[in-house]
Amino acid sequence: MRTPPTTRLALHGANVLAIAFFVLPIVAAILGALQSEKSLQASTRTVLPPEWTLDNFRVILSGGTQKGAIFEQVTYLPDNVKKIYFALANSTIIAVTVTLATLVFAALSAYTVARLQLRWVTWLTNLNVFARFVPVIVLMIPLYVTFRQFGLLNSIWGVIIAETGFLLPYGILILSPYFAAVPREFEEAARIDGCTRFTAFLRMTLPLSKPALASYGTIVFIIAWNDLLIPLILNNRAEFMTLPVVIASLVGDVHVFHNLMMAICVLALTPSVLLVVLLRRFVVQGLAVGGVKG
Amino acid sequence: MTTVGGASAEPNHPIGRLARPHEAAAELRRFRGEPSANLLGVVMNIPTLLTLALVLAYPIIYAAYLSLHKVALAELRRGIFPFVAFDNYRRILSDPLFVLSLKNTLVFSAVSVSAEIVLAVAIALLIDQRQVWTSRITKFLILIPYAVPPIANGLIWTFMYNFDFGFLNRILFTLGLIHEPINWAGNPSTALLALTVPYIWRTLPFAILLVHAALQGINPELYEAADIDGAGALQRFWHITLPLLTPIIVVILVLRTSFAFAVFEEVLAITQGGPGDATWVAAWYAYKKSFAPPFDIGVGAASAYVLALVVGAIAIAYVKAIYRRIA
Repeated sequence: MRTPPTTRLALHGANVLAIAFFVLPIVAAILGALQSEKSLQASTRTVLPPEWTLDNFRVILSGGTQKGAIFEQVTYLPDNVKKIYFALANSTIIAVTVTLATLVFAALSAYTVARLQLRWVTWLTNLNVFARFVPVIVLMIPLYVTFRQFGLLNSIWGVIIAETGFLLPYGILILSPYFAAVPREFEEAARIDGCTRFTAFLRMTLPLSKPALASYGTIVFIIAWNDLLIPLILNNRAEFMTLPVVIASLVGDVHVFHNLMMAICVLALTPSVLLVVLLRRFVVQGLAVGGVKG
Repeated sequence: MTTVGGASAEPNHPIGRLARPHEAAAELRRFRGEPSANLLGVVMNIPTLLTLALVLAYPIIYAAYLSLHKVALAELRRGIFPFVAFDNYRRILSDPLFVLSLKNTLVFSAVSVSAEIVLAVAIALLIDQRQVWTSRITKFLILIPYAVPPIANGLIWTFMYNFDFGFLNRILFTLGLIHEPINWAGNPSTALLALTVPYIWRTLPFAILLVHAALQGINPELYEAADIDGAGALQRFWHITLPLLTPIIVVILVLRTSFAFAVFEEVLAITQGGPGDATWVAAWYAYKKSFAPPFDIGVGAASAYVLALVVGAIAIAYVKAIYRRIA
């Protein structure tokens, strides 16, 4: 069916609006990160800055040692900015570990849901659906008290354990329908050839489920990388902060460096946005199937 | 009695038995001394069960315990939490700030979720127009907000909303639409609405994806039949698309509502509950009570529990909606 020219024009217009809405904050962050505080306040009514600079990134990535032209006069720099490499390392270690742990744990459980017809396992899955609805703040208050008693505050292990637990139910929900859709015949053939039930799963169903594992892995990595509340409550020393916690710590700081904040935001969102752009297909699939976590 | 196939005619014959795959599998298992399905199920679920017990089940119970005890800084240091029965609940329910927080949460969720559903349906239909090349750009871009860390999103919008040099005012000045800067997030009467925009921005991709996936499932013959009957675009949408999208809209409604009830990052980044207490929401209340002086964790746990109960009611509605869809 052909689209009449007026409809086509209206659709283009709607698309321009939608694209502007989605891109605007990212553009604003990049423009903010590439200018100085002075140029920000010099011309308050123009979109493009009068001068461009990379000094914000230079200050952050040098841990505050190289101040560059725009920070020469500045005597105060937030402590957490100076320890940005701790945050980058912590965020990376936590996101990677949580992704691997949830993939293994969720795959094992999802297999039992998909293949072993056990009543209690089905019951557990139903419980998982409910578990996703519990607001994280409800769990974090008691976890804070418990981790405090166990000495797990200010450690990356506490954060890894908590995030693994919160993201597991979602993984079981995504992986089990995929495992169930892999024809049983593959496993049965492997078993005739001498595999046990478990090795048949490892050698047949698991490799055939790579797309689902990629979907879930990508989504978990992004959620773990972006998560604020868990590390914010559990860790308050700069050495153990993640990137989102450092960003949050700048909010109520004595002096607010808007440009510096935009530069850190750009640094924090680049890995996860790149991942989503590169692995778009898997993320779309995972979200459509899981349909449980925003 | 009629039997189908030779296998069931001779149940005790070994070849007849092995001809059926499930029984063959059972035979193999016995032959190799493999664990039973039940034992294998338990062993394979051990990591998950341990993690969930520690991070989900135990905290839910322990939160209830904390909400019935006095737990503040002094008690945390001593490690003894005196029992106070429903005192914490009585305190939050008589606290005007808590009631306001609940009300704000309700308004925030209602506005953001309803706007999100309308936008999600509109944009999903838009990116479904594959013959329009700009739609393909939109489709490529919609996922980006999903990846942005919520706290970074909040700070970016703080920058956008800034009264003195914010990006939104700059654009409106450049377009010649305003002559005086607008105080987007600093005005008590509009601050809560200003919070919904970043939240919608970040969570809209998920809703669009679900609607778009549902659109792919609609049989194109239905539209062809409607064309033959002379139905216009609006009629096609109203009588075919919308009714068929209703189940997924219900799912989005419930999911998004329950998550919007727990909104936290954008509040922390943009308003910190202000101006005044105009943007205190339930999760912010629970967080501030527990982790800001005087660290009244008992009260915080009680308020979080009230929030969980509200969300739990929504979750029950969700599960019912899902089951109705399957049935």
